[in-house]
Amino acid sequence: MKIENQGECVSVSEILELTAANSAHFRDEVRSALSDSSSLIEINLSQTRFMDSSGLGALFALYRATAERDGVVLRLLNPIPEIEQLLELTQMQQLFEIVRR
Amino acid sequence: MKTLLICPSRRPAVPHLVAFGPLATTPVFGDSVICYWIEHLAALGAREVQVVAPDGAAQVRAAVGDGARWGVRVSVVAAGVEPAMDEAALQYNPEKGPGWLPAPHDIIRMSHLPGRPAMPLYDSYASWFAALVDWMPFARTPSRVRVKEEQPGIWVGSRARVSPMAKLVAPCWIGDQVFVEAGAEVGPGAIIEDRSIVAGMARVTQGWVGPDTFVGPMTSVANSLAWGCTLVNWQTDSALHVPDPFLLSSLTKLKTAEATDRFGRALAANGWTGSHSHLIDELHARVGNAPG
Repeated sequence: MKIENQGECVSVSEILELTAANSAHFRDEVRSALSDSSSLIEINLSQTRFMDSSGLGALFALYRATAERDGVVLRLLNPIPEIEQLLELTQMQQLFEIVRR
Repeated sequence: MKTLLICPSRRPAVPHLVAFGPLATTPVFGDSVICYWIEHLAALGAREVQVVAPDGAAQVRAAVGDGARWGVRVSVVAAGVEPAMDEAALQYNPEKGPGWLPAPHDIIRMSHLPGRPAMPLYDSYASWFAALVDWMPFARTPSRVRVKEEQPGIWVGSRARVSPMAKLVAPCWIGDQVFVEAGAEVGPGAIIEDRSIVAGMARVTQGWVGPDTFVGPMTSVANSLAWGCTLVNWQTDSALHVPDPFLLSSLTKLKTAEATDRFGRALAANGWTGSHSHLIDELHARVGNAPG
């Protein structure tokens, strides 16, 4: 996993999977990368081939963390169709801005 | 009167449907495509139905039996490939004999449901779903007394249990022994096959839920086909094997009280059972009814 802090934007990429094995680490690392100047978190899911409920839970925890900070946007980039299906099944696509580039 | 029924071979456009076995036996509205056809042909006067099965002849035979259910004699012939119509005519009815049903009912390719040739079943997942929704008003044939049209466009199996706090929107089909929990929303365009469970706050819209399938609390099956842990979006053809059973899974695996307890604990661990004791009760009640 790669985290880049570019001023207002925190970019997270190279996430191969989000499961019980790594979701707590993922959640904590992203949280700790946030600063007072962060206004956008972009999580690039283009390489994420597998996600389970632990991964969804980590995304939800980040959603709550951003909801507590006024004006901070959490954006999911380029999820593969299977991950998008999982987000739709759990109705979590309503929580995030999902962007394809 | 005789007739020939040609079953479809595997179709590359709908690869996941073969999870049920040959396409002819795929469950639809509590029955199968081939059973609907034989019933239709019997109503047209057929007394002898020869079935050509290019895929899974034994399973087709098991599904239709000897035809006594419809008052016809059924024989199933295994075929290496699905014959073209003209090949089938030459091979099975070369004389166009008087003992056969008149065309087009003498030789039938089972690529659609009876009387609905404009609605192909196997061209894509989208066409499969469209054909089922189109068939919904015709699915309750006279021999199927276990389903009632409770309200216009809402069919419910006689042994289904639907919470008065659930929302049903026409058109929708709730199969036999289905359980729809309080807060769930089914329809429009929803088909829930027999023995499935739609848990509290779940939604099924423009979707088909196969038999014995658990649709977990707060999930949404939209524009999709779901059976067991398989979820196929019929708009995009994307297919997902859902990793967590409390979201979407097969109920056939819950055959013991222990397995049901484990499942209940998984639901609780995800914070979704608190008020869902009816669901756990329903799961436990089914253990006693589980086959095998």
